[in-house]
Amino acid sequence: MLKIKNLKAGVEEAQILKGINLEVKAGEVHAIMGPNGSGKSTLSSVIAGKEDYEVEEGSIDFEGEDLLELAPEERAHKGVFLSFQYPIEIPGISVSNFIKTAINERRKAQELEQMPAGELLKMMREKMELLSIKKGYLSRNMNEGFSGGEKKRNEIFQMAMFEPKLAILDETDSGLDIDALRIVANGVNKLRSEDNATVVITHYQRLLDYIIPDFVHVLYEGRIIKSGGKELALELEEKGYDWITKQAEKEWA
Amino acid sequence: MGLIDNLTIYAQQQNLSKDKRLLFDSFVQKGFPTIKDEEWKYTSLKKVIATEYTLESDSSEIDSSIIKNHSLGLEDKIVFLDGVLLYSPKIKGVSISDFSDFECRNNDAITELNSALAKSGFTITIDKNIVVENPIEILFFNSTKNSFAQYRNQILVGENSELKIVEKIQDLSNSSTLVNHFTHISCEKNTKVEYNKIQNNTKESKLIDCMNIFQEQDSTCEVNTLIFGGGFVRNNLNFEQNGSNCESNMNGVSLLDDKQLADNHTFVDHKTAHCRSNEMYKGIYLGDSKGVFNGKIMVRQDAQKIDAFQSNNNLLLSDNSTIDSKPQLEIYADDVKCSHGCTIGQLDEDALFYMRSRGIGVEEAKAVLTYAFASEVIENLSIPELKTLSQKLLAHKLNVDLDFSL
Repeated sequence: MLKIKNLKAGVEEAQILKGINLEVKAGEVHAIMGPNGSGKSTLSSVIAGKEDYEVEEGSIDFEGEDLLELAPEERAHKGVFLSFQYPIEIPGISVSNFIKTAINERRKAQELEQMPAGELLKMMREKMELLSIKKGYLSRNMNEGFSGGEKKRNEIFQMAMFEPKLAILDETDSGLDIDALRIVANGVNKLRSEDNATVVITHYQRLLDYIIPDFVHVLYEGRIIKSGGKELALELEEKGYDWITKQAEKEWA
Repeated sequence: MGLIDNLTIYAQQQNLSKDKRLLFDSFVQKGFPTIKDEEWKYTSLKKVIATEYTLESDSSEIDSSIIKNHSLGLEDKIVFLDGVLLYSPKIKGVSISDFSDFECRNNDAITELNSALAKSGFTITIDKNIVVENPIEILFFNSTKNSFAQYRNQILVGENSELKIVEKIQDLSNSSTLVNHFTHISCEKNTKVEYNKIQNNTKESKLIDCMNIFQEQDSTCEVNTLIFGGGFVRNNLNFEQNGSNCESNMNGVSLLDDKQLADNHTFVDHKTAHCRSNEMYKGIYLGDSKGVFNGKIMVRQDAQKIDAFQSNNNLLLSDNSTIDSKPQLEIYADDVKCSHGCTIGQLDEDALFYMRSRGIGVEEAKAVLTYAFASEVIENLSIPELKTLSQKLLAHKLNVDLDFSL
């Protein structure tokens, strides 16, 4: 589904990603872990198409298409979804109007008719139930005055509504208490299928107790320095990152 | 011949009283303000007064469907056509009549012109202790080609009474028209008054509006100015607080395109202690449009413990649109809380990316964010029909489809 080859990207002066290679297949869950400043959020932003980052080298192939050639909205139309680490507040637009606009823009791109309001509302109610979201939420303004946990839950709600092929969850666990974490993880698990894939970006192993990954990658200094199965996450939890990063630094030297 | 010459001939044909004659002479002597006047520095009347206007309106008839099309659909309506009061509602404790003369203290040329020659408008008098439950819709229609019309209106609200109004001036002649509109509102003790203006007239229409509001103690008055159309709009909105615990609120949205100009001049005169004023104006400028905002707040020496807040936020969405924004605070009391903020900017890049990452195309995302920017004012409108209409007008002008609620 997703093939990242030798991806080098950064901002004007500094290269942040220094040659990322990653392949994600349909049905898989990948976790990307790593210490602060290793490039995790940059990677997710580059995949989603944030224009602040410049890609110097390498490629991102998504289902046979060159993702880097597409605008952010076109990537979304193809089925890429990014759950933001810091969701943006948009005062003046209700959650329902936001979702409606996004869904109908996708449908327009696919040359489909607008989704009837009744159908949309029914779908929203189902997904709200899935994520234990209370009534009244749809008429609140997008992320405005939401707690950290509510913002993250709103991201997963959108994911549930858009049904992406590839979901990238950037630090979705930060700001969540344990109950909210369970609900969000449960939602993500219910949305998993043979046809979609999930990339979980996280600092901590905690989330991976609930969303069990097939693969775990350690990102450090803009490179993936180690990959393994779910047991790697447990090992990191126990030993920290030092033992791997030191080894990598030795190799680079 | 210019407008002043035409008006001079017209005035001679009228049987003006001595007082009105003096007012007219004073107007002629001053002439229309030019950009050399501080209050008109950013708004030129040159083109507005260079047009040939018809000073006498035709008498005509109006189809009820036209009224319906331009109405919010509120039950209680006051309707004028070419200066003639067609109908007014009967409401208990409220007397509504045609034009009645009254004096005003303003001595600027345009108000003097109105004082001297206006002979049309409404007078609403509300008894004490009357809560007018349904808002009253006031519609001024014009069907005379190239007309110059002057309306002079008065609202007197008795103690402990409440009133809500929605006003709209609509040209039906599709020609270059000018309206000089003057409204006086007296708010007695403990009154609540809300006045909403929908300014969505035709592209060739021009409006100079002056509203003077006098508030006694414990009164609250709110004026919402919603500008979606019109070629030239100048609003002078003046509040005078004459008792403690008064609250003056004014909000505005201007959404302009093409060569439209909208100028909002507000003035709050805090003469007494323990009062408040809140002001929020939002401007969105497209095409070659031009906006002007001048917000003056005066806190007199005896007016301690004043809480005054003013904000003017603007989005310039085209290369050729402009905004001149000027907060003007004059504070002579020492124990007051006055704050003001003015922003001029473009749309938030992070919010744009967020929306695009959800599949919303860049143009649609911009339109939605612009809609969101203005909605802070629109969300607070208390009359549901007005709120819905404003949302629709805004969405329509920005070409977004956001008119359903769940």
